[in-house]
Amino acid sequence: MKILVCMSVVPDTTTQIRFKPDMNSLETSGIQWIINPWDELALTRALEIREQPDSGVTQVSVIHIGLKDADPVIQKALAVGADSAYRVNVAAAGAMEVACQLSEVVKKEHFDLVIAGHDSADYNGSAVGEMLAELLDWISFSSICSLAAAKDSITIEREMDTRTETIIAHPPCVITIQKGIAKDPRIPSLRGIMGARSKPLLQLEPIPCAGSAAFVKFENPAQRSKCRMIDPAKPEELVELLRNEANV
Amino acid sequence: MTAQLIFAGLLMLTLAVFSWTVLTYVYRFSLTGPYKITHWGKRIGIMLRVAIGQSRIFRRPVIGFFHALTFWGFCVITLGSLEMVVDGLTGSERSFAGLGVIYDVITSSGDVFALIVLFSIIIFLIRRLFLNIKRFQGVEMKEKSHIDALIALSMIFLLMVSLLGYNVSTVLSSPVSIAGTYPVSSFLASLFSSSPPHQLTSSPPHLPGFFWWSHITLIFIFANILPYSKHFHVFLSIPNVLLSRLEPLGKAETMENVMKEVKAMLYPDQAEAPTGEPARFGFLDAGDVTWKNYLDSLTCTQCGRCTDVCPANKTGKLLSPRKLMIDLRERMKEMAADKIKNGKNHVDGKNYLGDYITSEEIWACTLCNACARECPVNINQPSLILDMRRYLVMEKSAAPAAINMMFSNIENNGAPWQYGSHDRLNWTAGLDFPVPVMADLKTQGKKPEYLLWIGCAGAFDDRYQKVARAMVKLLNHLKIDYAVLGTEETCTGDPARRAGNEMLYLMQAFTLIETFKTYEVSKIITLCPHCFNTFLNEYPDLGYSAEIEHYTSFLDRHFKLARSDVKSGAFKNDKIVFHDPCYLGRANDVYQAPRSLLGTVDSSKAEMDHHKSFSLCCGAGGSQYFKEAEKGTGEVFAARTAEAVACGATVIASSCPFCLTMLTDGVKYLNKESEIRNLDVAEIISMEIGL
Repeated sequence: MKILVCMSVVPDTTTQIRFKPDMNSLETSGIQWIINPWDELALTRALEIREQPDSGVTQVSVIHIGLKDADPVIQKALAVGADSAYRVNVAAAGAMEVACQLSEVVKKEHFDLVIAGHDSADYNGSAVGEMLAELLDWISFSSICSLAAAKDSITIEREMDTRTETIIAHPPCVITIQKGIAKDPRIPSLRGIMGARSKPLLQLEPIPCAGSAAFVKFENPAQRSKCRMIDPAKPEELVELLRNEANV
Repeated sequence: MTAQLIFAGLLMLTLAVFSWTVLTYVYRFSLTGPYKITHWGKRIGIMLRVAIGQSRIFRRPVIGFFHALTFWGFCVITLGSLEMVVDGLTGSERSFAGLGVIYDVITSSGDVFALIVLFSIIIFLIRRLFLNIKRFQGVEMKEKSHIDALIALSMIFLLMVSLLGYNVSTVLSSPVSIAGTYPVSSFLASLFSSSPPHQLTSSPPHLPGFFWWSHITLIFIFANILPYSKHFHVFLSIPNVLLSRLEPLGKAETMENVMKEVKAMLYPDQAEAPTGEPARFGFLDAGDVTWKNYLDSLTCTQCGRCTDVCPANKTGKLLSPRKLMIDLRERMKEMAADKIKNGKNHVDGKNYLGDYITSEEIWACTLCNACARECPVNINQPSLILDMRRYLVMEKSAAPAAINMMFSNIENNGAPWQYGSHDRLNWTAGLDFPVPVMADLKTQGKKPEYLLWIGCAGAFDDRYQKVARAMVKLLNHLKIDYAVLGTEETCTGDPARRAGNEMLYLMQAFTLIETFKTYEVSKIITLCPHCFNTFLNEYPDLGYSAEIEHYTSFLDRHFKLARSDVKSGAFKNDKIVFHDPCYLGRANDVYQAPRSLLGTVDSSKAEMDHHKSFSLCCGAGGSQYFKEAEKGTGEVFAARTAEAVACGATVIASSCPFCLTMLTDGVKYLNKESEIRNLDVAEIISMEIGL
């Protein structure tokens, strides 16, 4: 079984998000880029499964749709243990285009199982996994919290509000993962970083994809009003404020 | 002539066995890695002070005194033993008698020391056999250790008895013509002189010979037993101290092979590309250690002073610094035997780390250096622990999850916690004056005299932000020309380094050094002792040196100059106790400055049981702060706080963000919040002068 982990490259989670003056794109200067945390967990679980002798997994690769400046981040995925990486050289306009480019590589390289994070920490679209399954005409499972593999089947669990579903599926299929899939993301060792230099990172040219979308405008949320302290000896002041200002 | 031949035969046999032993050890040393030795002049000074002067032994004055006497006794008595060898080979008696007065000094001191050593050995035997001394126990103290000790002590006992027997019987047999001076033996002989007349003038003629042969045979046996026992230190303590690590305890060795890799990553155009696969990062097995580490393990006499002061061991965790030494010696013995049997490249599938030392032991260490400070023969245990962490992290990425999280944070956002650099000046909110920032001053064409290094805790930790504010108020009060880096500050890399991630440390360090060079920073005041230690001791290896001061030294210096005597009386009803942060005190010997500063405060003072170089860690060092403590029977922070409680303090003063947090937790843990406050020295001074 060949596993492909889809990988977004997103701003570090402590980044102060700013937009360019025209408010239609992200201000990227000074941003530290990281592997999307969900995708990092997906990769961690894929590697754990590959290390189990009877899992039947022969290869774990990662793929990113984006430009060359993402390569150092992709190298990290190789350093933690992915066997190879693909990057389709296009600044995709939206989830549909990402899914379209992914589907081409999945078909060409004959992957059996595609794993993606629940969403990416930048645009939080939560759409690529399902779109990809549609384009491939594969079955898909979303919000997976547990994954195991045995030769030609996978066992997955989905945690819902009122129940946990356990499903056995036969790849090819696409799954998107959520919390619980792996405990802690792996971090690269120095030996791994050195080893990553000799692993293949293939740059592929994009195919034409229809149905692209474009961001028109971003808006920052309104600033929260300042916290006001009320003297505990004057509860009537609180009542007054709640009634007249908060309109409770 | 027959006696000479027998003696020569005995000596040959002794030397033959000893040579075989030496060859065995030479082979074992050949399996170890390099360690560079320089600064011989300095080394000789250390050897005279620590080995000959027994300075470290006196850290435990009473029993140390007896050990020192035994050591000095051995030195003197060895001269006599040398004479015995010459006598035995030449068939003469008292060959060195021609030395005249010097001979009298040698013989008289040897005679006196024989009695002193005998007395000390009896004390040591009583301690071993009848007193339940805690540091002689421990999981690593196997039956062999105890038997080794008893054999060695018994042999020394017999050596002294035979020596005194020889001297007394010689005095008795020729009371007038004997060469040399024997005050103790003459006195003992005079006791026999009061015996009936037929025993007065001489001892039985065979007695001196009997004692002489007994003594010299015991010496030969003893010399050949020592290399196989824990008492090898009789031979090795002086060379081990001579070859000690010279760097401050807080300095970690820079890993050249990792530096090459990091330079290639950061400066691909300038750096020389590393060629070939570099050797293992860090230590996994006995073959990875340096010859000095191995010499340390052979020199260790298992006295347990290191384990006795280890905060992890004190609180019931698995770590015992002594075990590191015992196990390294054992593992090398096993590994070398396998290689002799199956060839030098054979691998027996066992490792020092894993089969002898567990990672739990390695991760329990606070790198407080108490063990290394205590060891009477200058063994350095923490460097071995750090090198094993380096293996786990850089080869296996096998750090505890919380440590991995800390690594990711430093790598992604330049702080051990998840805070972005854009928030690095949040601590200045609420100050009624602006805090100067380097970048702003540079645009105005100004260059401040000092860089005030706030550190990640000062920037992000709610509690330590207050200390940062107190510090800038003090600097303003003293009219110091300073600035901070603000959003350009990033972690020094220290927490990553102590947790074994040399790569991340170097990446941070090189980045930061670039920033320092941009602003031509030549004087730095740090809030955090860990940052202080890193800049002072570790950055020079990377090509950056500046005048580095911890804020306590800086303030002490300036307050002395300013002769400030303003006292608000804020602490006049308090008893202040100072907790020495390990990386300020033990690692860099700054003990006086914080005490001198606190001395200006109108309050009573106290000292904890363990203070200055004896100080007990707060439990946060060695990156413990960023992970859960390993399993034990107690908590280090609680043990340390209990000492502060015991001395009746109402204020625990510290000068490290991590100590402050740990001791604050300790006060809560012991339910003493209503009685004890935790304050940083900067806050205390600021409050005292009413800022």
